[in-house]
Amino acid sequence: MRNLKLSVLLVLFLFAGFNTNAQDADTILKKVDEVMYSPKDMTGETKIVLTNKSGKQSTREANIIQKGTDKRIFRFTSPSSQAGIAVLSLPDDVMYLYMPAFRKERRISSSVKSQKFAGTDFSYDDMEAKPNAEKYSPKLLGTEENAFILELKPKSKKSSYSKVIMKVHKINYYPISVEFYDKGNKKIKEGKSVYKKIGKYWNAQEMTMTNLKKNHSTKMIMSNVKYDQNLSDDEFTVRKLKQ
Amino acid sequence: MEKFTKLILKLKWLIILSVFALTSLFSYQLKNLTINSDIISSLPDDDLVAKLYKNIGSEFGGNDMGMIVLETDNIFTKKVLEDVKQVTDSLKITEGISTVTSITDVLDIKTTEFGLEIGKLVDEYELPTRQSELDSLKKYVFSKEMYKGSIVSEDATATLVLFTLLDDADKQAVAKEVKEKIEALGLSEKLYFGGLPMMMNDITSLIVADMVWLIPIVFILIALILLLSFRSVRGVILPLLTAAISVVWTLGIMALADYEITIISNMIPIILLAIGSAYTIHVINSINLNVEKDRKKALIKALSFIIVPVILASVTTAIGFISFVFGAYLAMIQDFGIFTSLGTLIALVLSIFFVPSLISAFSMYNKNTEKTNTNKKDIISNIILQPLAKLLFKHPKYIFSVWGILIMISISAMFFIQTSVNMNAYFKKDNPTRVAEDIMQKKFGGSMPIYIVFEGDMQSPEVLKLMKKTGDFMETDHNINTTQSVADLIEEMNNAMGESKKIPDDKAKIEQLWFLLDGQDIMPQLVSDELDKGIIQSKFASATTSDIENFDEKMKKFIAENSNENCKIQLTGMPSVYVKLNSSLLSSQFSSLIIAIFMVLVIVGLILRSPLKGIFAAVPVVATIIVLFGFMGATAIPLDIATVLVGSIALGIGIDYSIHIIVGFNYKLKENGDVHKAIESTIMTSGKAIIINVLSVAAGFLVLLFSQLVPLQNFGLLVAISMISSGLGSLTLLPVVLILANRKKKITAKQTFN
Repeated sequence: MRNLKLSVLLVLFLFAGFNTNAQDADTILKKVDEVMYSPKDMTGETKIVLTNKSGKQSTREANIIQKGTDKRIFRFTSPSSQAGIAVLSLPDDVMYLYMPAFRKERRISSSVKSQKFAGTDFSYDDMEAKPNAEKYSPKLLGTEENAFILELKPKSKKSSYSKVIMKVHKINYYPISVEFYDKGNKKIKEGKSVYKKIGKYWNAQEMTMTNLKKNHSTKMIMSNVKYDQNLSDDEFTVRKLKQ
Repeated sequence: MEKFTKLILKLKWLIILSVFALTSLFSYQLKNLTINSDIISSLPDDDLVAKLYKNIGSEFGGNDMGMIVLETDNIFTKKVLEDVKQVTDSLKITEGISTVTSITDVLDIKTTEFGLEIGKLVDEYELPTRQSELDSLKKYVFSKEMYKGSIVSEDATATLVLFTLLDDADKQAVAKEVKEKIEALGLSEKLYFGGLPMMMNDITSLIVADMVWLIPIVFILIALILLLSFRSVRGVILPLLTAAISVVWTLGIMALADYEITIISNMIPIILLAIGSAYTIHVINSINLNVEKDRKKALIKALSFIIVPVILASVTTAIGFISFVFGAYLAMIQDFGIFTSLGTLIALVLSIFFVPSLISAFSMYNKNTEKTNTNKKDIISNIILQPLAKLLFKHPKYIFSVWGILIMISISAMFFIQTSVNMNAYFKKDNPTRVAEDIMQKKFGGSMPIYIVFEGDMQSPEVLKLMKKTGDFMETDHNINTTQSVADLIEEMNNAMGESKKIPDDKAKIEQLWFLLDGQDIMPQLVSDELDKGIIQSKFASATTSDIENFDEKMKKFIAENSNENCKIQLTGMPSVYVKLNSSLLSSQFSSLIIAIFMVLVIVGLILRSPLKGIFAAVPVVATIIVLFGFMGATAIPLDIATVLVGSIALGIGIDYSIHIIVGFNYKLKENGDVHKAIESTIMTSGKAIIINVLSVAAGFLVLLFSQLVPLQNFGLLVAISMISSGLGSLTLLPVVLILANRKKKITAKQTFN
């Protein structure tokens, strides 16, 4: 009986070892990027729910349009005081902000990527649609029942993280969870996501980011997601931002 | 009384065993005793200013703010910026720290040629290195009110790193870790640590140091005095044992009742050692003087004589302490009053139950059973008491006049008494915390936080404009360096949006500017989550009472004129609390003294069954209190949270000496009916106990001169002076009063004692 158990364990172990050899860390991360960034473009609506440490919630809503990995407009629709505020992100960290009350756009630069995006627990860094393989050097730490565990080290010295631990779905290659560690190697943020297939793409239908230090969390819920509508580059201009 | 003492001796083993059991129980509790050096937590909840300060401090994180100053000749160099970054990074990853603000990591709203940049003052990953970059950084920093004098000193020789602590953090542990970590970096700049968490950490270590060093010294000192006085092992061991047991019981009860050691209750062990031994001294002295063949009979006689004065003495002392419960502003002073009076009563119970039981159980009787012993007079009796008694009868009027002159001088000096509530003055001049606070005051406009609280819609133009107006008004005071509020940020943002540097008139604009500020680390320090409350944060540079009072008055007037139904304005902060604390020092001094004097008069009058005797007993202590305040006025020792206690304590302990004299006088007068002889023999017998007692109590309190905290040093000196004065008063002034009163109106034995 004991021998049987041992041999089962051994087989499982070999299997796991075989698996890791076959799938090195770089390949896994590339596949993650493929899953996350393969649509040509996307439109959708998002609901952002902020929960503070006393459990109080506040909600914002926005429309998102995105093309490729580096063009995006975030346009808030609710609450009414913020309705119409829009953020246009273009390649090379160029960002424009439009404020309807001023009827003016302003180029904004956030020299520090670790700043929070619009009061959420996502930083500009986290919101960036830059492929993971460009941002991080991966290392495979191990596997779980249905996930690979990757340790990602930021390539840029400017990152506020020392490392990111990402769990990747073994079959579908979307990230299930991410844990962010500060320079003191303490876990400071934790992200979880629920993916659902829409058409041929996997969509992060629900993403939750929790700031463990401040006990504050942000949930982004996507709806009405449409892919590959052949959006033109003209949609991502300052002129369009002001509409 | 004899029945009572016989009963005590009958139950001696039960008494000894229960004392032993209780002492083990309470000493086991001692390990649960914690130190609380947080002065803020001692502010009363029923006082509006103090309550608001506590609430605002915790709601906006200001009470939990720590500061590190880096000082060198010029901070705008590559090296200093790197060091600041090192400190900042090190703090950021310290457990319990919420946010860190420094020149390398601070919110900056820049208007650039192409738009606006919400970012950091410098890029922490690409610190300026070239001279031109450093120069332009310096120019920029000094062009912005937000930074000048708040992050960088105006002379550019010092820079500040501010950090806030998480709500649930162990503040002192974090402060300790921060200090150790930053010091270990080995930076070349001079480092100073400030802010309440750092100060508390420092006070805690001072309290521990005081307890570890001073208690053994007091113990040894009292032992020496007892040895010299009684020249017997019993005379040393019994008083110290009862005092030590009462300290253990009191601290054990404090631990059981969940009370903490504070900057004031720190003194409890020393006070109890000094006064707790007194009751046993009187019991032993009485036993020594009653020498008879039958040792048990002698013991009973001695006890019967001493029980009443000892009870009176301790009850009046306890009253002196308990009087703080009624007048004190700070909770820690009330707690101190409760537990010292409890400790006093414990010492009393031990001295009349436990001490005779021990003597009887272990046959610690006087070795000499021969009467001759009493005739062999000792030094105190020969050199001091006998000449004194002669002097009293020869020149009663001279002695009376000398006291009269002393009191007149003291009364005129009393008018120069100052009050001091400035926490900084509690530390010795060379203490690192005090040095840090001095630097903070010189370079960054102090560390005393001021908050102006605005209740209203934080996004309304009207409220924000009022905040701005208030901030501008505050800055006209030369003790206010800078003010910071969300209104300043909105103005900056409006400017960056290409409108002018002012609060927009349109609420929608404010709401949209807010969008960019949302989630910034600084926001929770300036506005509430619900956006219905906001504060102006500032610091007050002067610790002078008149400066603080002027500012307080000015602000109150401004607030009365500008507060309205849409925006309620309130002022709080350390200066306001100081104003309150200051006026409360005087009023609580007054009320606790009145309560103490009244209760002592009533109790002494009742027990001696003569109101006149009560008044006589009060004469030396009232004289002592006048001399005490005169001394404080003349030497500029201020009334502060510790010295405010001296008056009532002096009264409570000092009255004991009068009681012993009066009771002795009555007893002797009853014995032989001659006033002259009664006074002489009272001085010769009780006088010795009083002198030993004054010496041991005064010496015990003088040990506080070695305390690390200035108010405790002053406290020790003042109590010692009061003890000497009231001892002297009861041995000179009181007999003289008795002699003179007796000349006018014959006091007969019948009138005085049943």
